[in-house]
Amino acid sequence: MDGTANSRAEQAVLHYVAAARPVQRLISATLTQVAGFALLLLTSRSRVSLAEGALAGAQEAAMRAAEEVRALAVPDIAAHHHHHLRGAAETLLQACAAASDQVRARSSDQGDALSSRLRASSDHLRTTASLLPGFELVDFGQACCAMHAPKRLLRDAP
Amino acid sequence: MADYSIWVLEYAAVEKFPFSVMMYGPQHQGTRKLPYAYVLIKGKGETILIDTGYDHVAYGEQLATAYGVSNYHGPREVLAECGVSPEDVTSVLITHAHFDHMGAIHLFPNAKFYVQKTELDKWVWALTLNPEYRFLTGGGDPADIVRAVEAAKEGRMICIDGDQEDVLPGIDVHLAADTHTYGSMYITVRNDGSRESEDKWIFAGDLIYTYDNLTGLDPEAPQIVPIGLAVGSQHNLIFASDRMMKSVGGEVRRVIPVHEDRLRTTFPSRLTDKGLQVVEIALAKGEQSRVA
Repeated sequence: MDGTANSRAEQAVLHYVAAARPVQRLISATLTQVAGFALLLLTSRSRVSLAEGALAGAQEAAMRAAEEVRALAVPDIAAHHHHHLRGAAETLLQACAAASDQVRARSSDQGDALSSRLRASSDHLRTTASLLPGFELVDFGQACCAMHAPKRLLRDAP
Repeated sequence: MADYSIWVLEYAAVEKFPFSVMMYGPQHQGTRKLPYAYVLIKGKGETILIDTGYDHVAYGEQLATAYGVSNYHGPREVLAECGVSPEDVTSVLITHAHFDHMGAIHLFPNAKFYVQKTELDKWVWALTLNPEYRFLTGGGDPADIVRAVEAAKEGRMICIDGDQEDVLPGIDVHLAADTHTYGSMYITVRNDGSRESEDKWIFAGDLIYTYDNLTGLDPEAPQIVPIGLAVGSQHNLIFASDRMMKSVGGEVRRVIPVHEDRLRTTFPSRLTDKGLQVVEIALAKGEQSRVA
């Protein structure tokens, strides 16, 4: 591959990262929300009504995330990453459906389906974080117990 | 003689942590060491942890390179210093849902976990907000909540609603709502088993980072100064600190901040060959010292 082709490939990856990062954040936040909802469901059904609105919102967000993942332009080098991002979105949608089934007591599996879909989505998501830089799942910049390195402000840029 | 043996076990550390995060106010007073630690409580047929530590496999390298967390060792190595394995742990009291306190649920396969229901309820609510509100859920990892779901499915996740006495024999938990997090809790060990205990220890989670939060920096004019980070209010942090202090009759050393490096000089301690501190808070009858 010559220098120009290299540069084009790098640009394609950079565009992919820029477009995929917000989608991954949306999946991560929605996964946490659905998992939190599942936790309420499994530990105290009486509290579930408080969070049903949150589940409806999470389902919409999961659908939006799945559509946005499908719409990404994926360079060859990011195909593996995209495979896992798509997997995270699809299993998250399945988790939302399983959560709805649990709420309506249409499922008698004591949360097996819900738990396994959440696990699958979490594993896919974690793989996306390991394949390309910039996809970290925990925002340590907001965490209390990690050293807070000074960030350069925009106005300091050369 | 004490009912429980109690150790604070360091498992990693940030060597240079901004003091202004540990305590609100001193913006230009440099850094301190911030140990990461959990508490091991052993006795009455129970092996109890306060918090789990975090999962190094998931993001240890990121923490090490970008955020200065060093010298991580997993619970198998750390607990072995007190003759305990992760499989021995029967109960874990989770003070709050940050990565370094509940990030290793999966490493304790036989334990029951206790967390405040408010911590979970309000997290679910905060996650419905738009991304510009993500400060409210910072420090959380989706994988931790998924693992909590798996523990709940196995009947090993118990949600506590507010203050509760004798969650475990002689051990009470207390909700400190809207403080460091939405549903932070602190733990009281009445180590003589008595309701009006004269041998009480309080484990503060992240409600305080240092004894200085309880005393201030001026010995001539003591004051409670809250930590530098809260999703709730400084008011609530101050009054939670006040409750903890009053509960032990004002004896500051009995309110244990696990991130306090000076625990090693306040109590008997030793440095392991891995460079980690073992701090011995109490020793039950028949238990051998792990710092001698």
